[in-house]
Amino acid sequence: MAPLRSLVCFCEGVTTEDVDRALEEGFRDLESLKRRLRVGMGPCQGRYCIPMLISYLSRRLGVPPERLAPPRVRPPLEPVPARLFLGVGDEG
Amino acid sequence: MRAEVVVVGGGITGVAVAYFLAERGFERVVVFERSYLGSGSTFKCAGGIRASFTSREHIVLMKRSIELWGELSRRLGIKYARSGYLWLASREEDLERLKRYSSIHNQFGVSTRFVEPGEVEEMAPALDTSRLVGALYDPLAGKASPFDAVHKLYLASREMGVEYRFEEVGKILVEGGAARGVASSGGITEAESVVVAAGVWSRQLLEPLGVSLPVEPEPHHAALTEEYGRLFDPLIIDLESGAYAVQTFHGHVLMGVEIPEQPSWEPGERLAFLSKVVRVWSKWLPWLPSANILRYWVGHYEVTPDHHPVLGPVGSIENLFVATGFSGHGFMMGPVVGEELASWVASGAPRTEEAAHLTLRRFEEGRLIKELAVIG
Repeated sequence: MAPLRSLVCFCEGVTTEDVDRALEEGFRDLESLKRRLRVGMGPCQGRYCIPMLISYLSRRLGVPPERLAPPRVRPPLEPVPARLFLGVGDEG
Repeated sequence: MRAEVVVVGGGITGVAVAYFLAERGFERVVVFERSYLGSGSTFKCAGGIRASFTSREHIVLMKRSIELWGELSRRLGIKYARSGYLWLASREEDLERLKRYSSIHNQFGVSTRFVEPGEVEEMAPALDTSRLVGALYDPLAGKASPFDAVHKLYLASREMGVEYRFEEVGKILVEGGAARGVASSGGITEAESVVVAAGVWSRQLLEPLGVSLPVEPEPHHAALTEEYGRLFDPLIIDLESGAYAVQTFHGHVLMGVEIPEQPSWEPGERLAFLSKVVRVWSKWLPWLPSANILRYWVGHYEVTPDHHPVLGPVGSIENLFVATGFSGHGFMMGPVVGEELASWVASGAPRTEEAAHLTLRRFEEGRLIKELAVIG
């Protein structure tokens, strides 16, 4: 039987063990963890995994969750077909 | 603790300088980063790597950087591929330009060559070649993952004793005409040498010292699709618009194109960019309109008047070095810049003669360098 794994990020298959390893490497802020582990870089754009990661980090680091800044939100908020951008905006 | 070298900035340049200093045996190197590693310009870049430039300085230094990318990738496991650059011409005039570029590349030993549509289709199966008038291929070029490169250089240099402090440097301390350390949010750190590798923000650090860096914060935009299977191996460039697209190691298509912009320290998102980049690339990638855009962001090129970096000693202040002004090529040059700066700090001279042409002095003496092929 495959060992049980605790997933933090479903889109990219990131586990709590992965997070622990990154913490040992010195990556402690969410922007770095996102780029080291790809947490929040899948189609959900962090909607599900970032709150879970904040909750996990808060317990691991003993820091209140409100002190852990979530990664900066990049537009669009959810995947949008590229065709919607054709012919919009003030092209110079 | 008195440091041997303080490096200001934890982007590709800063971590590469730290790595090569540690490799030379420096034991007390401290890197300061005010936000997170790569947070300035490095993590906003596309990760393209090429030596197919049109100035001797860029070509010679980038050929060495490509050697180092190969070595670092083998040694540290950085995601890097020599997957090429493919320049696409859809008009006769663009083909003429490519011929001029190619003859300069070949003259300096960079073997770019024209490829037939059949070969283009093999290396880029998802590309529509019906508009193709000519395509120039650079097999020496490639790509690396900016996240992986910075993180692994950081981990390896930390292993060799480099210390990383996540604090903002507010001031470079100078005494008797020589740098003697930095003042950061955590206090004062004394150092024998200071290397400023803070991207376009280097200008603000050096200004109070009476050193005027000719770098401008030029906004550049990039967007990324969802991930797909293999679409095209080389980074592709549409010569007409200067747009580029690269498929990342994870499968996303990362695209950029220039839009009219003024220098800005805090550039905003622009719908006009998304509109233009989708329009340009839909001509070559006809499936793009139905692909999903996942993310869009803005970063900086730190642009100098001659589109070449400012490297080496500042001149007017002893023991103070700078590495900035890469004008869109800082990531690809990271390894060679790390090696050259480590040499400058250790021995007072660069490793390569061409690096010495790129000091700040060239602007005072009016000896600018000519570069014809700046893209994206």
